[in-house]
Amino acid sequence: MKIPQPLKKKDLVALTCPAGYMPAENAASCIQTIQDWGYHVLVGKTLGSKSKNYFSGTDEQRRDELQAMLDDENIKAIFFGRGGYGVSRIIDDLDFTLFRKYPKWLVGFSDITVLHSHLYKKFKIPSIHAQMAAAYNGSGVKTESITYINKILTGKKNKYVVKGHRFNNAGKAEGTLVGGNLTLLTNMIGTASDVNTKGCILFLEDIGELLYSTDRLLQQLKRSGKLKDLAGLVFGGFTDGKDTDRKFGRSIDQILKDISADLNIPVCFHFPISHGRENLPVKVGAKYSLTVTEKKVTLQEV
Amino acid sequence: MEGLFTFNDQLVLITVLKSCLLPINFSTIEKTAIFISTMRRKQFLSSFTKAGVLLSITPSSIVTEYKNIWHIPEFLQKGDTIGITSPAGTITLSEIQPAIKKLEEWGYKVLVGKTIGEKDNTFGGTDLQRTADMQAMLDDKNVKAILCARGGYGAVRIIDNLDFKRFGKNPKWIIGFSDVTVLLNHIFEQHHCASIHSKMCNSFPAVWEDADAIQKKSIESINECLTGKAISYTTTPNSNNKIGKSAGRLIGGNLRTLENLAGTKSSPSTKDCILFIEDTGEYLYSIDRMLRNLLRSGKLKDLKGLIVGGFKIKKDDEGEQFGQTLEEIILKVTKDFSYPICFDFPVGHQKNNMALMCGVISSLVVTIQEATLTLNTVTEFD
Repeated sequence: MKIPQPLKKKDLVALTCPAGYMPAENAASCIQTIQDWGYHVLVGKTLGSKSKNYFSGTDEQRRDELQAMLDDENIKAIFFGRGGYGVSRIIDDLDFTLFRKYPKWLVGFSDITVLHSHLYKKFKIPSIHAQMAAAYNGSGVKTESITYINKILTGKKNKYVVKGHRFNNAGKAEGTLVGGNLTLLTNMIGTASDVNTKGCILFLEDIGELLYSTDRLLQQLKRSGKLKDLAGLVFGGFTDGKDTDRKFGRSIDQILKDISADLNIPVCFHFPISHGRENLPVKVGAKYSLTVTEKKVTLQEV
Repeated sequence: MEGLFTFNDQLVLITVLKSCLLPINFSTIEKTAIFISTMRRKQFLSSFTKAGVLLSITPSSIVTEYKNIWHIPEFLQKGDTIGITSPAGTITLSEIQPAIKKLEEWGYKVLVGKTIGEKDNTFGGTDLQRTADMQAMLDDKNVKAILCARGGYGAVRIIDNLDFKRFGKNPKWIIGFSDVTVLLNHIFEQHHCASIHSKMCNSFPAVWEDADAIQKKSIESINECLTGKAISYTTTPNSNNKIGKSAGRLIGGNLRTLENLAGTKSSPSTKDCILFIEDTGEYLYSIDRMLRNLLRSGKLKDLKGLIVGGFKIKKDDEGEQFGQTLEEIILKVTKDFSYPICFDFPVGHQKNNMALMCGVISSLVVTIQEATLTLNTVTEFD
């Protein structure tokens, strides 16, 4: 296993959009911030591209740009502009030969979950699950969710102590941190990017799903054996959840509690990893310890 | 020896003949089997019992053969009982009255399950209640077919708590679609058993005479499947059809549900199958993403054919135009494969939703003008 090197001042960082379209102005604050951290920024053509549809470019354009950035030894980290949908369409056409020789940090989440899982599954190379360009706008740039990204990039191990929840199942665990967006994690089941979760600490978040749909996705994780041998389970935010006209009758917390009821491992709720303003950066594929009580939760890289 | 009587005709026949070391070649066995499978099970079993040949069968030979046998439940006869249960969403007794009336007109007795009229929020009873009702119907020898009252969401919450042991020995028809895709694919994969993908109780028209012809035809096709009539459907023209001819075992259903089964023991092995898919209320990007799961997990590569049914597509959000049609999406994910593909097949969340038989060998002939799917219910050997 190779771990990407910590970044130094004047290192080159690239920005690309491998999925949905993003206007260039939405990434201005992000680019400025990366420069303020002391890095040079290379902006890909997929940002603010001429694409007229959902995607930031054709499959070929998005793949070619990401491929070039993966292959360029001078680029030490790749930031993703936004998620949306699109990585699944190019992942099997990416060549990771050079990347494996000279791994670099990949930074993003949501649709980028596909890359996080793929890199860990295939090469055991860690990557950073964190906010993307739009979150740097306005006062967002001052939040720990953004500032801690640079701490991770410069080689500091992260430790988060956050408040607990009455549904928490207390306990201590240690294992590789895997996870991300629930919809994408289930979408990858059975594919080459599908992570073996045995002995891992799994974290989950999602956005805009109907309650029954979240339940269905969790049932799939359970039925496909992804939950049974976990060391720990971290439920992040399930933001903008919706309900059907005929009420599902269970809150999101109750759904999460039900699915994890008989796991007998530390489980925590409302951990600040989400599509909301709070989305603390973590390394997928790195070893973490998780300590859960009703009062507080500690997630720490070991 | 008692357990042996409950096995499928074909299995018993092969095992009997092989274990007796009769000087008989396989093609003779096959011909005899097809002949015998047209007899009622009890009649032919009793003839072997009288002959005394059952004594030489060993349990180990049964286990090895069992896996390759495909079951087609007995077709229904007048006076047989059909059970109605709701493994997913809630439904009232009055809502299923039109279905009860029609099933009785067809000559069947109807057993109304305990979940009908039950309600646990969106569900037709709690998980335990829905499990118990389905279990009772699976185990009841008098119930020859189980018609699911409606879909919605809920089958995955009960499927792993159902015991299919008795069902495996005495397979019966399970009927439904949408969320019931879970059950159809589960018994396909785990029990190699045929089932009927069709409309459910909530689609039987309140006043039969007022319903339009295609809806009536869709409903009547259920009975044609149940009684073993010859089944063949032809589509309207679609210039995107990928022409070709093939034969394979038919399986499929709701795309969202098929994706949801990935990685579970209910996920169908699609090699050499003709796969059919349909869905409702999904964005194009979401349909594309689900198809990527099928593609990336290998479910599309070894198909004999792909049948695309109805897709009620959710309109793209403003400024988020996906930029590809459903046909373009399908043709792109299947670009490396040469099997025939047809569009606009009459299956899905629409009036034109013809009954299909999952698990039986079917032939598909696709031209630009039309596509024809013919179901073959003659029992066969793998």
